[in-house]
Amino acid sequence: MLSETESKGKLLPISFENTPWWALILVVLILAAATAAFFSPIYQDTVEFLLAGVKITIFLTVVAYALALVLGLLAGLGRVSKNPILYTLGTLYVEIIRGIPLLVLLLYIGYVIAPPMHIRNLMTRGILGLGIGYGAYLAEVFRAGIESIGKGQMEAARSLGMSYSQAMRYVILPQAFRTILPPLGNNLVAMLKDTSLVSVLSIRDLTYLGRLNVARTFRTFATWNMVALMYLVMTIGLSLLVRWVEKKTSFERR
Amino acid sequence: MKDKILGPEIIKVEHLVKKFGHVVAVNDVSFNVRQGEVLVIIGPSGSGKSTTLRCLNYLERPDGGRIVIDNIELTHEQTDINAVRAEVGMVFQQFNLFPHLTALENVTLAQRIVRKRSKEEAEKIAMELLEKVGIPDKADSYPAQLSGGQQQRVAIARALAMQPKIMLFDEPTSALDPEMIKEVLDVMLELAEEGMTMVVVSHEMGFVKAAADRILFMDAGKIVEETTPTELFTAPKEERTREFLSKILH
Repeated sequence: MLSETESKGKLLPISFENTPWWALILVVLILAAATAAFFSPIYQDTVEFLLAGVKITIFLTVVAYALALVLGLLAGLGRVSKNPILYTLGTLYVEIIRGIPLLVLLLYIGYVIAPPMHIRNLMTRGILGLGIGYGAYLAEVFRAGIESIGKGQMEAARSLGMSYSQAMRYVILPQAFRTILPPLGNNLVAMLKDTSLVSVLSIRDLTYLGRLNVARTFRTFATWNMVALMYLVMTIGLSLLVRWVEKKTSFERR
Repeated sequence: MKDKILGPEIIKVEHLVKKFGHVVAVNDVSFNVRQGEVLVIIGPSGSGKSTTLRCLNYLERPDGGRIVIDNIELTHEQTDINAVRAEVGMVFQQFNLFPHLTALENVTLAQRIVRKRSKEEAEKIAMELLEKVGIPDKADSYPAQLSGGQQQRVAIARALAMQPKIMLFDEPTSALDPEMIKEVLDVMLELAEEGMTMVVVSHEMGFVKAAADRILFMDAGKIVEETTPTELFTAPKEERTREFLSKILH
């Protein structure tokens, strides 16, 4: 009875407090900027010039994140391992990389480590730097996720005759993965933003092309407006995607 | 049922010692279990009964002594511990079902990756076992959707799916609501009647009366008394045993 009267009293499906006002304001801002870009030849020219950088930024994010996931998983497994060698290797990697600013790490890998190894491709240098850098953060995410799964799960799996790695693969990691999906998503968004640092390695990403466009046209205002907006659209789009994936995977557990 | 014929000794424990730091949890414990026997270990908390049980499938690594299961010495360096564990089923107090898998998948997982059975074969065996423990209709449910008693019965089915020679029960009913205890004990009684070798840590005196062939009473890491159900309830020899029983039998 109560719920009936309640639903009748409501005019909108969502209440004032529950409306995502921040999202509405953002949409309005983005639409305003898009309209400006559509009608102003200055903005049109800027957007056209920057689009190539967007492609590079997305490509860098995807490939470097894949590398970071692999490195993070390996190092995270090392961090929870009882084997002293694997533990030491994992911990050394995490502690060293986390102690160096990402910008310095990129310069170091790009100009100190890559040249003697004959890695000439700038993109490869950037991907290595970002992947190795974020791998250390993801390692801690994986470690926390694995440790969040109760000891009883490993014991139950082992008591059935599974080896440590089988138990990890079929019992622990599938559960840990669900727990760490939100921090993994946050790191993906953070990495997308940090790809802007690779412009110091002369990779023609969005930020690099922004600087180039300013040097070329002296249109500082229009250029950085569009660069910031393009990053914003990408990160918000990615955040929404991550949220959707989270909802999808947590649902089937109920 | 009481005069069942027992086989040769399948578990031999000699001078087992297990320490946690400076605390000696199990102190020089020796006992044997014969094939088809149901051994119940009772004792106050902290007496080392669960630790002893967990040593039997090497979830705890002993600090001293020998454990021989089905003629394989666990405490030997070269022993493939995974192979032995596949022959020894274990049921935990907290069930420890895999929450990301359905009841059926819980029962098939180890069959497939340890026993290398085909999907069809593993599922056929799993369904038979879920029927045996009385919950075939819950095959597609996730553990979170099951009651404690149902979860524990899935856990028993999961262990049985490996066709173990021995079943270990670590306080299987202690985490259950009173009205669910019986459904789990009934499954255990059925197993005992079928001649399964069982080592059970439990304070369920109903189960002890109905199924135990022998009882070990442990206190402070040692076996205080070894007895039979009839003796335990009528004339316990040791003062410590009497004191303990007076507290748990109301």
